[in-house]
Amino acid sequence: MKNMAMLSVQILFLVLINKLGYFVAGLLSLPIPGNVLGMLFLLVLLWSGVLPLRLIEKGSLLLVRHLALFFIPIAVGLMNFGDLLLENGLVMLLALVVSLVVGICVTGLVAQRLAKPKREESHGTEFPDHAV
Amino acid sequence: MEPSFLITLYSLGITITMYAFSRMLAKEYVLLRATPLFVSTALIILILALGGVREEGYSQAREILAFLLGPATVALAVPIYKNRQHLYDHAVPVVVGLLMGSVTTILVTVAVAKFFQATQVVLLSLGLQSVTVPVALELAHLLKASATLTAGVVIVTGMLGAMLAPWLMNRIGVHHPMSRGLVLGTLAQEQGMVQAAAEGELQGAIAGIAMGMAAVFIAFLAPVLLPVLI
Repeated sequence: MKNMAMLSVQILFLVLINKLGYFVAGLLSLPIPGNVLGMLFLLVLLWSGVLPLRLIEKGSLLLVRHLALFFIPIAVGLMNFGDLLLENGLVMLLALVVSLVVGICVTGLVAQRLAKPKREESHGTEFPDHAV
Repeated sequence: MEPSFLITLYSLGITITMYAFSRMLAKEYVLLRATPLFVSTALIILILALGGVREEGYSQAREILAFLLGPATVALAVPIYKNRQHLYDHAVPVVVGLLMGSVTTILVTVAVAKFFQATQVVLLSLGLQSVTVPVALELAHLLKASATLTAGVVIVTGMLGAMLAPWLMNRIGVHHPMSRGLVLGTLAQEQGMVQAAAEGELQGAIAGIAMGMAAVFIAFLAPVLLPVLI
C-alpha cells in the first residue's frame, strides 16, 4: 500500500515535468517535442543534484519498463491502413532493411574504431593505430 | 452500464493481456525475443477485428494508456543518469557513433523510398524510424506526418533491427560490448534494448543511454532535416 502510494507520487511528479516541458515548448514556440524537453529537465534536475535519484527511481523505471504498453494501442490503429500498407509495404520494408544494414555498419564500426586504441594497447600491438 | 464503457474495458483487457502474453513468449523463446511489440500489435488487431470492435471503439482505451506516454518519455532520463559512468567512459565513441549512425540511417531510408517514389506521408514516417515511439509521435505531429503509420514503422524497425543487428555485427566483426549496445539502442529502440540487455550489462546500459540520446538528437534534427530532404 505504501509502495503504491510512493509510486503514484513519483509518477505524478513525472506527469508534472512532462506538462512543464509542453508548457515551456509552447511558450517559447520551440520546434522540440514537449516530452523531450521534459526529459532534459529531469536530466538537469538529477545531474545538478537538486533531485536525488532515489526519490524518482522506482516510478521512472516502472514506466520505462512498460513504455511499449502505452504506445502499442497507437500502432493498433494500423488496422485502418490496409490499403496504404498493401501499396507501399514492400518499398517500406526495403527502405527499413537497407537503411538498418548501413546504419548498423556505420554506428558499430565507427564506435568500435574510436574505442579501439585502449584495447589494442592492452593487447600489446606493435604498431598501434594512432589515426583516430 | 453504457456499452461504450464495456467496449473500453474489453479493449483495455485485450491490450494488457496480449502485451503480457507476448512478453512472456519473448522470455520463453529466444527466437521471439525481438518480436513482442510486433506480436502484441498484430494479436490485438486480430482479436479486435474478430470481435467486431472497430477502430472508434478502441480509441478510449488508447487514450487511457497513451496518457502515460509523456511521463514515460520523461522517465528515460533515469537510465541515462543511472548509467552516466558508462557514458563518461565511452563519451567519444558513443556520441560520434550515434550521430553518424542516426544521420546515415535517415539519409539511406529516405533515398531508398524516394527512389521508389514513395509518397510524402510514407517518407516522413520512414525518416522517423529510429526514434523511440513517444518521441516519434510528437515529431510526426510537428511534421504533419501520420502518427499511426509512424508508430508502426518504428515498431517494425525495432523488431528488424534487434534481429538483424547481432547477426550483422558478428559478420562485420563488431565485438566490442559498448559498440554493440550502442548500435542496438540507437537503431532498434526498446526492442534493441531488450536484446542488448540479454547480451550483457554494459550492452544494456549503453543501449538505454543511446535510445534516449538518439531521441533527443533526432528531435532537434528531424524538424530541420526532413523537410529539406523530402
